[in-house]
Order: sequence, then C-alpha cells, then structure tokens
Amino acid sequence: MSVLPHWVSRPVLAAFLVALAIGAVLPPVLRWSVYTQNLVTLTYLFVAAALAWNWLGGYLGQVSFGHSAMFGVGGFVSARLLLALHLPFWLAWIAGGLVAGLYALLWGHPTLRLRGPYFSIATIGVGEATRLILTYWEGLTGGSSGLSLPIEANLKQTLYFWGLGLMGIVAAASYAMRKSSFGLGLLAIKSDVDAAADVGIAPTFMQDLVLFLSGLAVGITGAFYASYFSFIEPGDMFGFDRSISFVLMAVIGGVGTIVGPALGAVVFVMLRQFLIGSYPQLYLGLYGFLLIVVILFEPLGMVGLFFRIARRTGLVRPELEATLEAKAAPGGAVGEGRTGGME
Amino acid sequence: MTPILRTESVSKRFGGLKAVDAVDVSLAPGEILGVIGPNGAGKTTLFSLIAGSIPPTSGRVLLEDRVISGLSAHRAVRAGVVRTHQIVRPFQNLTVLENVMVGAIYGKVHPRRARERALEMLQFCGLRDRASQLPGGLTLSGRKRLELARALATEPRVLLLDEVIAGVNPVEAQQMALLIRSVREQRGLSIILIEHVMPAVMSLSDRVVVLDAGKKIAEGKPEAVVKDPRVIAAYLGESASTAPPEPASAAASISTPPTNPTPSSTSIPKKKGPGGGS
Repeated sequence: MSVLPHWVSRPVLAAFLVALAIGAVLPPVLRWSVYTQNLVTLTYLFVAAALAWNWLGGYLGQVSFGHSAMFGVGGFVSARLLLALHLPFWLAWIAGGLVAGLYALLWGHPTLRLRGPYFSIATIGVGEATRLILTYWEGLTGGSSGLSLPIEANLKQTLYFWGLGLMGIVAAASYAMRKSSFGLGLLAIKSDVDAAADVGIAPTFMQDLVLFLSGLAVGITGAFYASYFSFIEPGDMFGFDRSISFVLMAVIGGVGTIVGPALGAVVFVMLRQFLIGSYPQLYLGLYGFLLIVVILFEPLGMVGLFFRIARRTGLVRPELEATLEAKAAPGGAVGEGRTGGME
Repeated sequence: MTPILRTESVSKRFGGLKAVDAVDVSLAPGEILGVIGPNGAGKTTLFSLIAGSIPPTSGRVLLEDRVISGLSAHRAVRAGVVRTHQIVRPFQNLTVLENVMVGAIYGKVHPRRARERALEMLQFCGLRDRASQLPGGLTLSGRKRLELARALATEPRVLLLDEVIAGVNPVEAQQMALLIRSVREQRGLSIILIEHVMPAVMSLSDRVVVLDAGKKIAEGKPEAVVKDPRVIAAYLGESASTAPPEPASAAASISTPPTNPTPSSTSIPKKKGPGGGS
C-alpha cells in the first residue's frame, strides 16, 4: 500500500521534485553570474517567507503586519550564536527560528483571540515595539551599527542549495498544511471560530500552533538572510516595510492559496531589483498602487488571474474554481450567488 | 433509569440579568426532551451552558457521572455533547462534504474514515447530491440539515438541537421532524430540542421543559404541560391563566379591556402564543 498520506497528489509531488531537481542543476548548467545567483537565492528566501506568512494570513485569515519581528529575532539570535559559539550555520538557523517561534507565541497567544482588523492592528504594534526595543538592545543587535559575520569563501555557493532546500521544505509544509485534515480545521476557524469549537476544534491551540510554525519558518529565513549577507542591522531586519513586503508578496500572488505567495514573491523580488536601481524613491509607491489594483480587481492576485484565464479556456471546472476561491477568500466570506448556475 | 445528561441547579448571570436561574434538567438515554418558552426565556443560553460555549456562573452539568460544565466547547464535543445553532453557521468556505468532514475529523472519527463517515451522514440527512457544493447554494432547510449532519458526524451521544424546524416550510418541517425521530431510532441518540413550532414539539418530545425568565416553570408530558396555567401565563400573560385552557389564546385577546390602556395591565398578549409558529 501507499506510504504517502491520502491527501498527497502524485502529479503535484512529481512536479515538486522535478522543480527542485531543476533548481539544483541550474547554476552549473546556465553558468550564472554572481549577480543572477544572488537574485535567485534571494527569491528562494522570500518565497519561503511569503509562504510561511500565508499559513497565518491566508489559511487562518489572521493578517499579520508584524512578521518582521520574527524575521529579525531569527536573524539576530542566529548571528549572535554564530559569533559566540561558532556553531554550524544550519544549527544556528534552527536555534534562531525556535527563538523567533517562541517569541511569536509570547505575543500571539493573547492577541490571536482578536480577529480580522483588530488582530492586524495589534501586530503593527508588536512589530514596531520589537523594532524599537531591539534597536536599543545593543547587546543583542549591536544597535544601529548592526552585526557583521565572518565572511567565508564559497559561502554563497553553498547557501544557494540551502536556500533551495529551505524553500522546498516550506513549500511542502504549505501544501501539507492546506491539504491535510489539519488544513480543513484551519479553514473552518477562518470561517467561524465559535462554530469550529462547537464541532470539536480547539481553536486556541490550532491558532497558536500555526503562529509558532509561521514564526519559526520566518525566523529561519531571517537567519538565512543574516548568513547570506554577512551583515545585518535592526532598521533593515525589523523595518515596517519588511513586514509589509510579506503581506504584499502574498496578496500580489494570491493570499490563502497554496502557490500564490510563491508567485508573488518571485514578482516582488524581480520588480524590486529592477525598480530600486532605476527609481529608488518610487518603488514603494508602486507597490502601494499594485496592492490597490490587486485588491480592487483581482482579490486572489495572480492565482485569481489564472482562474480567470482558465475559465475562459475551460481548463478548470467552474465548480472546482468556486470552491477553491471560497477557501482562499479572507474570513471565509463569499457571495451567496457563488454556486449559482451549477444545478 | 439513570439520566445520560443532567444539569444541577445551573445558572448564568450576565451582569444584573439572570439568563438561566438554577435550572435542573435531566435527559434519559434515548429520550427526546423539548425545551420551550417565550423569547428571551434562556433556552439558547441553557444550550450554551451544556455545550460548553459559555461557563455557568454556578451549578454544574453532568454527562453520566462526568462533570462537563467548565469544559471548553471542543472538549464537550469530545465528551459526546454537540449542539447545532439557531442561526445556521456553516463554514461558508468549505464544501458541504468538507463541512461534515470537519465534524468527523475533529469529533471522534479517524481522518482516514472521515470522508466515508461524512458521506454517510449526508446520505442520512438527504444532502448526498449536494456534497461538492458550497453551503451558500443550499436553501435554509438544506443548511439546517447540514448543521445537523455536521453535528452527527462528531459521533455524539447527546444532541442539542436549537430550532432546527422553525423557519422552513411545512413540508420541510415534516421531513425534519421525521429526520430527528430517525436520529433517535436509528442512531440511539438522546436529544434535547429547543423549538417554537408547537405541533413539532408536541409530536416529537417525550417530555417538555418550560423556561420563563431563566427559571424552569413546568415539566412533564407535552399535552399536560401546555394545559399548565403557569405555562399559559408565561406565554400569554397573567389573566389568561385564570381562563379555561382550551380557548386560552382567544380569551387572552378578548380579556384585554379596551378601557384600560395603562401598561399596568398584565394581560397584554405580546408574546408568541403556543399555537404560533408554523
């Protein structure tokens, strides 16, 4: 019999493994320049971060504007461990991620009973408070002058593969979390917390767990970021625009969907690379504009766009599309007429 | 017979309001117990106390010998008590089948068997052909049956049904009554039923408890309870209770003296009559 859980689709698994294999052989085959390889590694990193943000923001519908806190905590804790104990970097990443996850639980356990905009507002406060406190906590972060890590030869070559692996793990976790019966519970909580509790779901435990995992994964990406650039400072790690970037990546790609945030992260990194060179003052404004356009015209972002095209060409059954859209919808709110015309 | 579920002097106070005031209710295994009372009598609050949605201010709820009051809602479900909602609350973002699967998975069914179990429940509740739809496309009656299927999928021992009949058309009401009866007959569940539709309560319930202003004012066989002067008074006002029970509602409306417009008159029948509903 199958060793795989029943919710794993074989074509998806095959495509996933092929994609990882292609990612692994690309740099030697294409003889990428350092610049290109940097860009691709950075993309992997932000794909992982956006997917992990989506566990909380998309699957549970609890939109966080404070994920820079975990990104930064993961980065600084792992950097300090690398400097003090000379741990292998992967061990320092895991330690940094765990501290970030626990930090997320610390503020998340009380605030997760808030829902919707109230939770989001609380996370803005958490993000900013964390930024201020850690900027002044020079013992950990080195204050505004930041921390420098020793530069090793060929580190970036090695980290490319670690970045690919990290993205692979987070993507697999995203798929598992959404497709397994755990994911059904998350979607039920997103739709109606009290009704979910009344059919046996423990909402507090589930939400805490998801926030912990999301904080852990984002903390590890922060730690990776620190290792990769060998220099970090609090303004960059904890900045509000860092938190916003996670939200933007998910929203541009399709919040609440499995692949959306990954697509969004690719677009985000490419766009940023292009714009920050040509229009350094303009690029944040352009993101704002993009965000408004997406929310107004295609709330499911690039995935929604794909559905729109698929509907025209008859690729996806309308019924399947409606149920997928409903699952991604924020707060589970969908129009009554969504299933109309199906009889 | 020892009761499967009982409340011992359970109370809930919201600020100065005693929503439920020292109510003792017991439910025998396999029994259908009707809970009636005017609007605001505390029926739904009583359900919330039993199902763990809110903790009681005092008193306790026992499932056989186990105290379940104070347990959170999801623990009460694991213990075997599940409720439905007066205003239906399907998970709008999940299909009908997935809604019921959630009940199965987070109740007591192994995830591997959840789908099978959920389909069985949908079949039982007449929603099998709607499995892949979103609940938004169901009629009110359909959504009420979905609420029932989702609750049943958790494999409860005690089922709390909050107005699953009210608001649907007479034919659907008939079907729902049959469904509730077969829940008891085929699945051996014990049921507490809040209902405003009197004919349904009268025909379904083995026993009826009447609540008014948070207190239990009567209990007994349905036909006896509706003749109880205190019950008539609760529904129609004080003076009606002195009139003979049969033409009670007529007497109530006539006995309001048009010459006495002061609000001190106790006989203004502004509450829903026992014959009202469907």
